[in-house]
Amino acid sequence: MTITLEVNGQRHVVDATGRRLLAVLRDDLELLGTKLACGEGACGACAVLLDGRSVNSCLLLAEAAAGHEIVTIEGLSTGRASALQDAFVAEDALQCGFCTPGQVVSATALLEQTPGPTREQIHEAMAGNLCRCGAYPKIERAILRAAGDA
Amino acid sequence: MSSYARPASVDEALELLGHEGAVVLAGGTDLAGQIDRGITTPALLVDLQDAGLGGVSADGDGVRIGATVTLAELARTDLLTPYAAVVTAAALAASPLLRNQGTVGGNLCQHTRCWYYRGEEWQCWLGGGDTCFAQIGDHRKHGLEEGDCISAHPSDLAPALAACGATIVVRSADGERELPLLGLYRRPTDENRSLVTLAVGEMVVAARLPAPPDASVYLRTGERRTFSFPLVSVAAARRGDALTLAAAGVANIPRALDPAEPLAGLPGHPQSAWKRTVLETLVERASQAVQG
Amino acid sequence: MTARFVRTQKELEGRYEDVWVLVDEADDVETWAPDADLALVGRPAPRQDGAARAAGRVRFTVDVHLAGMLHAAVLRSPVAHGRVRSLDLEAALAVTGVRAAIGPESELSLTTRAPLLAAEPAYAGQPIAVVAADTPEAARAGLDALALDLEVLPHVVDPQQALNEQRFTADPSDDARGDAEAALAVADVRVELSLDTPAHVQTPLEPHAAVASWDGDQLTAWVSTQGMFSAREELATAFGLRKDDVRVRTEFVGGGFGAKQGAGFEGLAAAELSRATGRPVRLVNDRHAEQLDGGRRAATRQTVRLGARRDGTITAIDADAVIAMGQGGWVMPVLIPARTLYHCADVRALTFPVKINLRAQNAFRAPGVMEGTAAFEQAIDELALALDLDPLELRRRNHTDVDQVSGLPYSSKHLLACYDRAAELAGWAGREELRASRGDGLLRGMGCATQIWWGGGGPPSHATVRLDADGHAHVVTGIQDIGTGTFTGAQIVAAEELGLPLDHVRVTGGDTGPNVYGPLAGGSQTTPSVMPAVRSASAKVRKILLQLAGDVFEIAAGDLEISNGRIRSRDGAIDAAVTEVTDKLGNATIDGSGSRGPNPEGFVVNTFGCQIAQIAVDPGLGEVRVERIVAVHDVGRIVNPLTASSQVEGGVLQGMAFALSEELVVDPTTGVPVNAHLDDYKIPTIADVPEIVIDFPHVPDANLPNVGSKGLGEPPIVPTAAAIANAFAHATGRRAAGLPLTRARVLEALA
Repeated sequence: MTITLEVNGQRHVVDATGRRLLAVLRDDLELLGTKLACGEGACGACAVLLDGRSVNSCLLLAEAAAGHEIVTIEGLSTGRASALQDAFVAEDALQCGFCTPGQVVSATALLEQTPGPTREQIHEAMAGNLCRCGAYPKIERAILRAAGDA
Repeated sequence: MSSYARPASVDEALELLGHEGAVVLAGGTDLAGQIDRGITTPALLVDLQDAGLGGVSADGDGVRIGATVTLAELARTDLLTPYAAVVTAAALAASPLLRNQGTVGGNLCQHTRCWYYRGEEWQCWLGGGDTCFAQIGDHRKHGLEEGDCISAHPSDLAPALAACGATIVVRSADGERELPLLGLYRRPTDENRSLVTLAVGEMVVAARLPAPPDASVYLRTGERRTFSFPLVSVAAARRGDALTLAAAGVANIPRALDPAEPLAGLPGHPQSAWKRTVLETLVERASQAVQG
Repeated sequence: MTARFVRTQKELEGRYEDVWVLVDEADDVETWAPDADLALVGRPAPRQDGAARAAGRVRFTVDVHLAGMLHAAVLRSPVAHGRVRSLDLEAALAVTGVRAAIGPESELSLTTRAPLLAAEPAYAGQPIAVVAADTPEAARAGLDALALDLEVLPHVVDPQQALNEQRFTADPSDDARGDAEAALAVADVRVELSLDTPAHVQTPLEPHAAVASWDGDQLTAWVSTQGMFSAREELATAFGLRKDDVRVRTEFVGGGFGAKQGAGFEGLAAAELSRATGRPVRLVNDRHAEQLDGGRRAATRQTVRLGARRDGTITAIDADAVIAMGQGGWVMPVLIPARTLYHCADVRALTFPVKINLRAQNAFRAPGVMEGTAAFEQAIDELALALDLDPLELRRRNHTDVDQVSGLPYSSKHLLACYDRAAELAGWAGREELRASRGDGLLRGMGCATQIWWGGGGPPSHATVRLDADGHAHVVTGIQDIGTGTFTGAQIVAAEELGLPLDHVRVTGGDTGPNVYGPLAGGSQTTPSVMPAVRSASAKVRKILLQLAGDVFEIAAGDLEISNGRIRSRDGAIDAAVTEVTDKLGNATIDGSGSRGPNPEGFVVNTFGCQIAQIAVDPGLGEVRVERIVAVHDVGRIVNPLTASSQVEGGVLQGMAFALSEELVVDPTTGVPVNAHLDDYKIPTIADVPEIVIDFPHVPDANLPNVGSKGLGEPPIVPTAAAIANAFAHATGRRAAGLPLTRARVLEALA
């Protein structure tokens, strides 16, 4: 089915038949920041914002995503996201960087909903974004820092 | 490859469901995996997001929860605060990303968890084959009941809703019926391997909760602090002196526990028997927690 | 450069080989003094490319999209052991969009020692055929069309069975010194411990991946690898090419942890299919393939017997290890901890590498030594208990400054300082009070473990530095930054030596094109191998720059110094920006190249450390919660404390997961792993993270010239699981029969 997707504020017409949103983002729209790491919703590397909430784009059917506002890591380049990204760099909240776009997406949604999160709230909100390199302690610090600077 | 439709009403959805190979799509968080692993091959996906099945509303003394309400919405809805077990279960299920997509209906109807059932390399009994590989193989995370399938059902919401006395509203082209929550489930048999009592053309449209219990709690243990299927979980609710218990992870469907004999009918298997100890602990703690 | 060839020993994870290395006689860099006041080295600095990573702008191998690129899909064995009866390549080729299909009988243009594709697969997940098509969907359709018919053959996945049937991948080895058996017999105190350690899967989030593209007879391959020069060598050999005709690019790698060596099956298959079709080919493991065939740390069963005198002196060590190797692989040094951690003259170490129907084991962060430490350090704690000695004190009493296998002294060893510091940070003195109940129903305990690993690096390793008219330097290395932050380390060292601000230095690597050789990112060798080369190259450029400055300011170069981008004379008369000299370059550049010198002779270069874990056990649920890990590691000079602490956190978390939850489980009936996906193989989430307290002795290794750094990549994963297991024993008074400490194991131990 051909559908219209709204991604990062722009509309795209794509052939979405049977495809997941992640494949359309990466293969059709060349938005390569969102990653395929597991394809089963277990790691969060594919996280995008759907109407402001962080979801696994590897599970989401592109057809089901039509009519919603989709924001990828590429769309998070101003305002809070940028301060968050700065905090990630300053705190070294990343190592290989593969999971980082997903982390930033989920953290952005968290700070939007809860501007001053506790450590507990950060753990709850970020638990769906795995990091095999183990940057977690610093991811937590980066989010607290960005929240504090806001 | 599946076709896709997004009906604008429940009636339209039911009509589409009448098509051969049609399957409902809610959040898709379990269905996507079923499709990818070849467990389900739908000809038509009926997307329920615009069919008017959302919303949590007061319902007499109780609450009505639309089938496509997401777990995240459920966890933050004030109307549900008096049903502590339900809120906890919704907040602890899966991951925050999955909770943003996964729905009440989907969570209740999700397929069971067993690495043989879900694995591409085995065609197990539950999947239509002849052998329960778990019973002859590695069943360390599996259930405690005896039977043809010893998988462990992973729904957090089911025991919590069940303990709080919830019912399920099911609709078909022929009409509506309501049944106790645990009535949604059946143990699979040789003739019919399905774990739910839904007939073809039927779908869950809502869960209804009666007036809140005096107290309720949901306790679970998983394989890591969070983002894990419940290895064992217990929901407890007290109304006056009456205690209701339900559990996940101990049978191939969510099931009630007898407060007098919680381990009855749950002898365990050699590698899963450890769950009996954990179940005992959770029953004790949950019961104490609701005594107040 | 005045060059000479020198014969020296190159060490990688305890394996030594003699190599010729190119040495620069003109390299007169003076080793930094331990108390040198360095402007940048030793100070925290954010990653050079951090902003790009945080914005999702960096391109990993999986992100490479080339025009006309084909997508490859791999048919993998669904059984542990089988024989292909038929495979319909023609049917696959007939599918619309499929451009190539190869199977075990196909004639390939490449040659490899072992066949690329298996006619008789010996493990579930082994590649049987590959299809390349215009789209991923067409490739999958092509796979379906192959209609694989497989005869199922018997398999062996139980290591005990393999041992009983004498199935080995290599000869069992017996490393002995003295007479352990006799010494055990007369020991005052004896303990024995048998333990299982799990199969542990690297699980990098970016799976193994490659994109290959030919231009005539020249091959460019993007490979998600830790060793681009090994990949280049493999590809050149396979296709009969000169190394110069192969370019491997691996600028960004989404995690490796040891699993990604050389070109891999992905690089070879992609290159083969690209040659056959004349189009670029992309081959990426899906997650299931990654977990089945990406590699793993092999499971072991170890038995340790220790003998000691009443005064705590260890007098006998007798250890054996059965390693569930899979189909082959390097036999990891599981018993090195037994043989080298402590002083002992009578030691026996028996290793049985058994052959089972699983993929060959490969490297996973501190291979062998990590799982060996997990068992051996628990036995040491049992000995401490039997002797009624404090576990740290027992370790101190058996300390050695001499490598027990070679008899050579260590180049540096500050382990005793690590014990003291870790004990201080952990509150070790209050260990017994910790066990007192806090009324929350949890059992608490504290345990320690010693870390040993290699970390000296070595030649060959080169770097070039080029300074331009803007006063900006470009450092070219031959390394891959797999998340370790080594690019940034090189940036810091170069900026320090050049006297430039950090952001005036840019480091590149991850490309064999420039032919500047660097070692693979493994064995904790990058920092000690590459930083000296970078510094030497920078020193040459600095020398030339000062000479040119001398020309410009009409003063002797020896009277000038550079720091923070400014050139100053000793008498203070001149204070100018570097650009006042370099802007006269125009389009010319000042170039320098440097090499890592030979390793010091007569020493063994190891790293050492101590970790202490504090845990809480919920006995009703069998749940173990790690509350705190203290990690103190002696790795010589720390170049960047910010990225160094990240390495420690990463290693600790992987070690913790090995102790608590990670285990690749194999179905006994079919021999196929049951949890080769991410839903049932649980790696930690942010909610599982304990408090991690980190420190270093910060004493440069005086015997490692130039920079004095040892490698840090692997040391942090080595002792964590042992420390947690020892804490468990302290908390509960029981020891589990193995790792991980699953609910079942914990409840069984407590029963």
